[in-house]
Amino acid sequence: MDRRTVLKGLAGAGGLALTGFAAPAIAQGAAARTLRFVPQANLANFDPIWGTQYVVRNAAAMVWDTLYGIDDQFVPQRQMVESEEVSSDGLTWTFKLRPGLKFHDGTPVLAKDVVASLTRWSARDPMGLMLKAIQNELTAVDDKTFKWVLKQPYPKMLFALGKGNAPCAFIMPERIAQTDPFKQMTEYVGSGPFKFAKGEWVPGAKAVFEKFTDYVPREEKPVWLAGGKKVLVDRVEWVIMPDPATAAAALQNGEVDWWENPITDLVPVLKSNKNIGVDIGDPLGNVGSFRMNHLHAPFNNVKARQAILMALSQEDYMRALVGDDNALWKPLPGFFTPDTPLYTEAGGDILKGKRDFAGAKKLLEEAGYKGEPITCVVAQDQPITKAFGDVTADLLKKLGMNVDFVATDWGTVGARRAQKTPPAQGGWHMFHTWHAGADCINPAAYTALRANGDKAWFGWPTSEPVETEITNWFAAKSLDEEKAVAARINKAAIDDVVFAPTGFFLGYTAWRKTVSGVTKGPIPLFWGVSKTA
Amino acid sequence: MLAYALRRVLSTLPVMAIVALFVFSLLYIAPGDPAVIIAGDQASPADVERIRANLGLDQPFLVQFGSWVWRLLHFDLGTSIFTSLPVSALIAQRIEPTLSLMMVTLCLTIIVAVPLGVVAAWKAGTWIDRVIMAFAVFGFSVPVFVVGYILAYVFALKFDWLPVQGYTPLAQGFWPWLQNLILPSVALGCVYIALIARITRAAMLEVLQQDYIRTARAKGLGQGGILFIHALKNAAVPIVTVVGIGIALLIGGAVVTESVFAIPGLGRLTIDAILRRDYPVIQGIVLLFSFVYVLVNLLIDITYTLVDPRIRY
Repeated sequence: MDRRTVLKGLAGAGGLALTGFAAPAIAQGAAARTLRFVPQANLANFDPIWGTQYVVRNAAAMVWDTLYGIDDQFVPQRQMVESEEVSSDGLTWTFKLRPGLKFHDGTPVLAKDVVASLTRWSARDPMGLMLKAIQNELTAVDDKTFKWVLKQPYPKMLFALGKGNAPCAFIMPERIAQTDPFKQMTEYVGSGPFKFAKGEWVPGAKAVFEKFTDYVPREEKPVWLAGGKKVLVDRVEWVIMPDPATAAAALQNGEVDWWENPITDLVPVLKSNKNIGVDIGDPLGNVGSFRMNHLHAPFNNVKARQAILMALSQEDYMRALVGDDNALWKPLPGFFTPDTPLYTEAGGDILKGKRDFAGAKKLLEEAGYKGEPITCVVAQDQPITKAFGDVTADLLKKLGMNVDFVATDWGTVGARRAQKTPPAQGGWHMFHTWHAGADCINPAAYTALRANGDKAWFGWPTSEPVETEITNWFAAKSLDEEKAVAARINKAAIDDVVFAPTGFFLGYTAWRKTVSGVTKGPIPLFWGVSKTA
Repeated sequence: MLAYALRRVLSTLPVMAIVALFVFSLLYIAPGDPAVIIAGDQASPADVERIRANLGLDQPFLVQFGSWVWRLLHFDLGTSIFTSLPVSALIAQRIEPTLSLMMVTLCLTIIVAVPLGVVAAWKAGTWIDRVIMAFAVFGFSVPVFVVGYILAYVFALKFDWLPVQGYTPLAQGFWPWLQNLILPSVALGCVYIALIARITRAAMLEVLQQDYIRTARAKGLGQGGILFIHALKNAAVPIVTVVGIGIALLIGGAVVTESVFAIPGLGRLTIDAILRRDYPVIQGIVLLFSFVYVLVNLLIDITYTLVDPRIRY
């Protein structure tokens, strides 16, 4: 019997049976001001600079505040900062902190804390590293003012300080921020709207966040990571649920209040329950990715990579992942997140229309492919990569390729994809992954799009046109200029097949209707969320 | 007996050392690198190397093993790579739920399975025997997670009698503790009830054919006395053996059950650690489980002498 079928059937039956049933005693007894949340994954560590998993970033955003925060227009808004000033040559940035900022241990947030935090962050973050490379000095002028002096202008400064991509520029007390960025810190004191209850932390099972009563929210309306982060509950308990059917059942009978990412199979059950609200969680969704290794034959030849694009059906990938729910996916003839300012389809024709297998086979032949085994490493423990891997195996077979399908776990894929050796010696030809749409709105955090050879992401693509245009984007001073550059990046990245996009997909979030204030955003936003009994 | 027990406990030390070396070697050669997982997708190879160096993973095998053994000799199981918490603290956090689950399951199993096996043997060949054995086959055949989902649907979702997930420590009250354990224990217990019921039946059938049982019957002893005083005691050795093995097997079963019912026990900790290649945690848990296994075997041996005075060490 298939586990997923059983799970779906029983959860479905549970959903139907529950209609009309009141919440159980166990739920009624719970404090109304405690919000119980099922996160996307286990919170195994809690240093947002040392570890960059999304779940760590999401928890960290509750505990640590940032100097700026991006809003739903991707514009960085002031958050901990009261004002900023940039010199006319664009080299000296002077920032002033807003009054009333306090850390959870009661100490005030000072400029020296900011300097230490930014120093640690800039050792690990791609934008931070760029800033570090052109930094003259980063110093505290007085308790409330700090100054960043650069050797050359950096127009994306505020975006770097406010972006939501991990690692975010979170501000920590100096003593904590002085931890080696490659070592994990063990103290979790921030100045954000929630305090982390370390004593109640059971890694792998539960993490508790308490309202920080001394937090002074901004006056502006909250939008994503910007604006007034007003906390309306006393506690948020993260309950880790390894089994989706259990999470669905727990949500249905009121043992939890909010499930970040219900699996597609269970969404119809949740939608049929009148006590549960379901909607798209993160409107920026995800970009599916099929990466080929540019170092080894046949994919060291652009024709072989283009052959894949010519035959690849994004719909096949997306259907394998989300089934018949058309609200959950879009074709993506490009690399940038749909419905965001830089989205473009320039040069994306090869991914559109009827798939051309004959043309693809011809290109493969021209690339010199003669039936050698193609090592396709697939993480079977990740539903997304499992679905993608199955579709790719079928695609390659249709193209007459000899597939060596290596079914393994994500931990192994993570280590193996870093191997540059030939596939026969422990390396690889291809693997699948996906990127949060929030990381793909522009080149700032889009590591996967980089094509700077040895320094590039796994697959190590080399494309001078892509790299030149990415540099141009960082220097762009207006949105129109950025859009023009993005179109050129997109075309160049498709021409050289930096990687193959397998489509754009979204996910749902689900909550009990006793909870209000759940909004769409790139991360689960807990400010403005309240709960009745 | 005390000397024997002491000897047995001491003899576990080399066994555990061999297990530890084996586990350590296995993890060392297994694919997967915690530093890569920690570093995340943005990291450069240099970043990964720095993390590896900080974690001591760049050291030669013998150095890593030596340092682990040294710490072990000081009763230090090391520190989790991912949480930076002591492994002993992580195990301590998780041991109560797993022990509770195992204990309740074991009690339930013995209470249900032994009488079922006795009755099946007593009524061998009748419809009662067939029904009990059919139940045993069912219990053996259906995966734990399927039973778990059915139980959760019926008793948590439909009737709203019991919670579907989680664990409440015993310190917070007996009933809150027990109500979280009933469904997982029944789900996990099905397999063991089936196993022990079958073994009990087989052992009882053999004993019931012995001359002394016939003599007891001839003397006019009641059926209950024959079954539970004379027969069961003499059939106890294989039953005790299977119960003991069952305890060891429960550790494996708990992994699935803890996931299905979201119980924060050692099973889930093990799975999380394996997926992340959190070596110190895996090593600590394997050592613990090895010790439990050896200890259970010792207890079985001691129990033999209690149920069968002919056995001496």
